[in-house]
Amino acid sequence: MTDQLVAAPMLVVLTTIVALLGLRRWPRVQRSASVGGGLAYALAVGAVAWSVVLAPDAPGAAAYQVGGWVAPFGVTLVVDALSAFMLAIAAAVGLSAAVFSVLYVDRANQRVFYHVLFHCLLLGVTGAFLTGDLFNLFVWFEVMLLASYVFVAFYGGPEHTAAGFRYLVLNVVGSALLLLSVGGLYAVTGTLNMADVSRRMAAPGAYGVDPAPAVGLAALALVTFGLKAGLVPFQFWVPGAYRSAPLPVTAMLAGVTKKVGMYAIVRVYFTVFGGATVGPSIAGVAGSSPLSFLAPVLLAMGIASILVGGVGAVVRDTIEETLAYSSVAQIGFVAVPVGLAAAAPPGSLRRLGLAAALVYALHHALAKPLLFLATAAIRSATGTNRLADLGGLGGRAPVLSACFFLASLSLVGIPPLTGFFGKFLVFDAAARRFATAPGPLGAIVLIALLAGAVLTILYTTRIWTASFWGERTPAVEDAGVDPRQTAVLAALALAIVGVGIWFDPVFEFAGAAADAALDREGYVDLVAPTGGEDA
Amino acid sequence: MKTTARIMVPIILVLAISLLLQGHNLPGGGFIAGVLTTVAFALVYVAYGLDYLDAGVLGRDVEPGRGIFEHRSVTAFRRTFILGLAIAVASGLGALAFDEPFLSQTFVIVESIPIYHEIEVASALAFDLGVYCVVVGVLLTILSVVGAE
Repeated sequence: MTDQLVAAPMLVVLTTIVALLGLRRWPRVQRSASVGGGLAYALAVGAVAWSVVLAPDAPGAAAYQVGGWVAPFGVTLVVDALSAFMLAIAAAVGLSAAVFSVLYVDRANQRVFYHVLFHCLLLGVTGAFLTGDLFNLFVWFEVMLLASYVFVAFYGGPEHTAAGFRYLVLNVVGSALLLLSVGGLYAVTGTLNMADVSRRMAAPGAYGVDPAPAVGLAALALVTFGLKAGLVPFQFWVPGAYRSAPLPVTAMLAGVTKKVGMYAIVRVYFTVFGGATVGPSIAGVAGSSPLSFLAPVLLAMGIASILVGGVGAVVRDTIEETLAYSSVAQIGFVAVPVGLAAAAPPGSLRRLGLAAALVYALHHALAKPLLFLATAAIRSATGTNRLADLGGLGGRAPVLSACFFLASLSLVGIPPLTGFFGKFLVFDAAARRFATAPGPLGAIVLIALLAGAVLTILYTTRIWTASFWGERTPAVEDAGVDPRQTAVLAALALAIVGVGIWFDPVFEFAGAAADAALDREGYVDLVAPTGGEDA
Repeated sequence: MKTTARIMVPIILVLAISLLLQGHNLPGGGFIAGVLTTVAFALVYVAYGLDYLDAGVLGRDVEPGRGIFEHRSVTAFRRTFILGLAIAVASGLGALAFDEPFLSQTFVIVESIPIYHEIEVASALAFDLGVYCVVVGVLLTILSVVGAE
């Protein structure tokens, strides 16, 4: 008997989608069903995380063979600490964005499949976090993308259509590359199951596999994952798409779907290719595994993201554009520790790098959606997001401003907020790297991180002084803030403070997730991709 | 054109149904059967026009002024799609009631049936039927909405 709970988050979203489609005629019921579905999803994720990872007698990981087909022939769903951590992020953002959507998006727009598509987005994210199969990962990426295409073009104006079209073309190319990569891996290893690929790559001689093409194929996949994550040089779709999509969906895109890209990098490189060694070394790279190739590339991408995003954010003239560039920079802060982990030899530094990336991802997934939702609240109160038209919001809407202030502080990294621990761990990993291997690379990483931190202070201060302090503009004077929207913001703000104050269990969870990402043998044993031969 | 449609449409529909029914063991299945069914409808649309299905076959009145989304056949197509999705998900969830993983399938061979002698009833047919309804519903909605532009 398999533990049915593993598939529960996915089944909850699927059922919600069907229910929402059936309830189209009754918009009021549909809206409550959407919120109810979000709540049920959060409960399901909580139950999975507790019973599989967090409970004292939890097994730590569980595999689920869909349709009863044993691995590697069927599709396997795997929950380990890493998946559970990411699912928890998705649940927190998904629930708050679902509630906020009902309050923010106007009623007529909510009727045109808005809620259905929102849950499709959530379904794609959930599937990507759960799946243990490379082709299935591609499928869930597509599910996620199809929903987000519609959202980017949702309002149907010329600029939305242009942004939607750009986003569509770019992601179709990205998907084609991922498909090529997955197809190539199948040709090389003869299997698509992640655990099976991992097993065969680690012992290429025993299975008659030539691991050399894996580096190039993994690089193709890295392009697509980087595109999803919005890392430089694939960041250019981010501002347009974030500006066009409805703001609660933007919160979802920034908070969760970007993290899917980072999750996929960690899962594929550390778990699937973690044990592979490629015969001849690659030009200009020390070491001879896909990981040693990943390290310089991801570090360069992360550093470039921090700088490009930070500099871009300083000069924008609306709040959401500033935040969109800021999220390019912030995802750089997630990518850099992953790059450091890839560069480090197996051991505590590698674990620290991954844990830092996960904590930072959690921080960004709480703070950035809060900021985007606060932006949405400002827009529905004042009708504008242009910094020039705002001013003096602090006195007009104190609770809303306090939430925005808190999230900004977390972004800057002030203790005891979650953002402080995220930044602290990232700097810790970089400093340790510099201490163990002094050299120009470590110094560049540290300097870039510092520059990124300074830029963060600059652009958050700029938004704050321009829109919350100063003279009240006419738009702000007439503003009517919806207290229900503020309540959602306050809940997220409390989460940021709460995670910061009770950080220890969160850090243990992140550490367990990092261990799960690195525990390649454990993952293979769990899935047991032997086709039932010697189970 | 109309003569071709008159001859081909029944053949295509029968072929589609046979593909749907054999799908779990032989080439075929819900998706390809749904596409073929859509092709039959497309042929009717091309030969007779968009309103023929409502006015000519079902004998309903078509109000000329209304948008394509209020067209009764389009509403029906969308309902087919939702029904299909519900069937497919429910057939997957059904396995949970028997303590099997999501989407698990089984089959029963029914013996001593006149003419056929024995028929294999597979639970996968329910899922296939769901896929069939989804494909027919979605493709026909797209076809009639885009066709009306």
